[in-house]
Amino acid sequence: DHGFHVRYRMEASCLELALEGERLCKIGDCQAGVSFFEAAVQVGTEDLKTLSAIYSQLGNAYFYLHDYTKALEYHHHDLTLARTIGDRLGEAKASGNLGNTLKVLGNFEEAIVCCQKHLEISRELYDKVGEARALYNLGNIYHSQGKNIGCIGPHDPGEFPEEVKAALQEASDYYEANLIIVTELGDRAAQGRAYGNLGNTHYLLGNFRKAVMFHEQRLLIAKEFGDRPAERRAYSNLGNAFVFLGEFEMAAEYYKRTLQLARQLKDRAVEAQSCYSLGNTYTLLQDYEKAIDYHLKHLKIAQELNDRVGEGRACWSLGNAYTALGNHDQAMHFAEKHLEISKEVGDRSGELTARLNLSDLQMVLGLSYSTNNSVLSENQDADYGFHSARSRLGRRRSMENIELVKLTPPKVQNWN
Amino acid sequence: PLASRQVIELQSKVVPSKQILHSDNMEMEPETMETKSVTDYFSKMHLGSLSYSCNSKRK
Repeated sequence: DHGFHVRYRMEASCLELALEGERLCKIGDCQAGVSFFEAAVQVGTEDLKTLSAIYSQLGNAYFYLHDYTKALEYHHHDLTLARTIGDRLGEAKASGNLGNTLKVLGNFEEAIVCCQKHLEISRELYDKVGEARALYNLGNIYHSQGKNIGCIGPHDPGEFPEEVKAALQEASDYYEANLIIVTELGDRAAQGRAYGNLGNTHYLLGNFRKAVMFHEQRLLIAKEFGDRPAERRAYSNLGNAFVFLGEFEMAAEYYKRTLQLARQLKDRAVEAQSCYSLGNTYTLLQDYEKAIDYHLKHLKIAQELNDRVGEGRACWSLGNAYTALGNHDQAMHFAEKHLEISKEVGDRSGELTARLNLSDLQMVLGLSYSTNNSVLSENQDADYGFHSARSRLGRRRSMENIELVKLTPPKVQNWN
Repeated sequence: PLASRQVIELQSKVVPSKQILHSDNMEMEPETMETKSVTDYFSKMHLGSLSYSCNSKRK
């Protein structure tokens, strides 16, 4: 029977291609994996469960490759197929994956509907593992949603709007519910993830003590597993929380461990971030020499990675630290660089800050150089549209508030 | 004296402690995706799905 033989060969090669795709994705080569899965789809199969598995893996591969539109498309195909063949478990999984993808795309409402479906079916099937995972995903969606609302629109300094707090509280509730189940199941890895994100949620809610407690739990589990990236994350998050508790020495210790691990893991971007955090922490400790040392390290890596935004931030920080040390020439140098980069990257608030810093510095330098008619005093004439130092200061203050709202969690106002 | 007073003033306002705090680098735990495999069904049936679809085709 020729037709049967052809069909059999096709089914077999579809499977072979899919298996190769799975193998490649498992070893982390999602790009190559995608090619094999797509070839498998081309060959086709009459077995809808196999096709569903291929769609699902294509969706995940595209997700890891950050092609979320494609990921959405395939998870959607998978969901339709799972429903068609009445595969409840498959439907639950497809819904969860669709939900996660929608979350990344910022469509929180639909993401919640999908992940609720994942939760609902898992409960119906008495699938504790699935239930726990759905709860974790829901926590992640509410967390993202809270952060997302928190970043846009003007609101009172230091206080997140009620809806942000509500979303973060919801996230916390879901993580706690997840934690109960995974603890019952003895799934330490999942516990680690829940602790980490609970810590981050409480950090945003301004519950810094709680955040520390959860990140410490996360750290413990990371060490248990020898999971160094997770260990590094925990150190960094602990550092952040201690900054807000005003315990800068502790923060510096944790950031140093982050830096150490970032170097071991050869992650230059994280190394740069750690140096930046350390620079800021030493500024808070008023140890400006050390602050400059770390900010210069950060600057070097930012330049190496062609990260102009990071470079601008480094210049701004260096300008401040040199000003604090009274080294106004160096301060001028970095303020000028900060201005140049802010203009280049279109950072309006950075540009304004840089101009204000420059005019302040020029004022000081003008006074100290008043006897020797320095070149710098020429710059004193530069008029940036502000009439007096007083109004300049007023503007500076209001801008600080904007920065503060954008970048810091709530309750920071009560912090010092 | 005026200059040095100016310097002190500048010093204190240039480094507002709160301004340099940043929370953007908060590090989240990885997402978990649900996984399926072609061997999920396949292993249970020892190529059952293959022969099933082939048999059904022949009928």
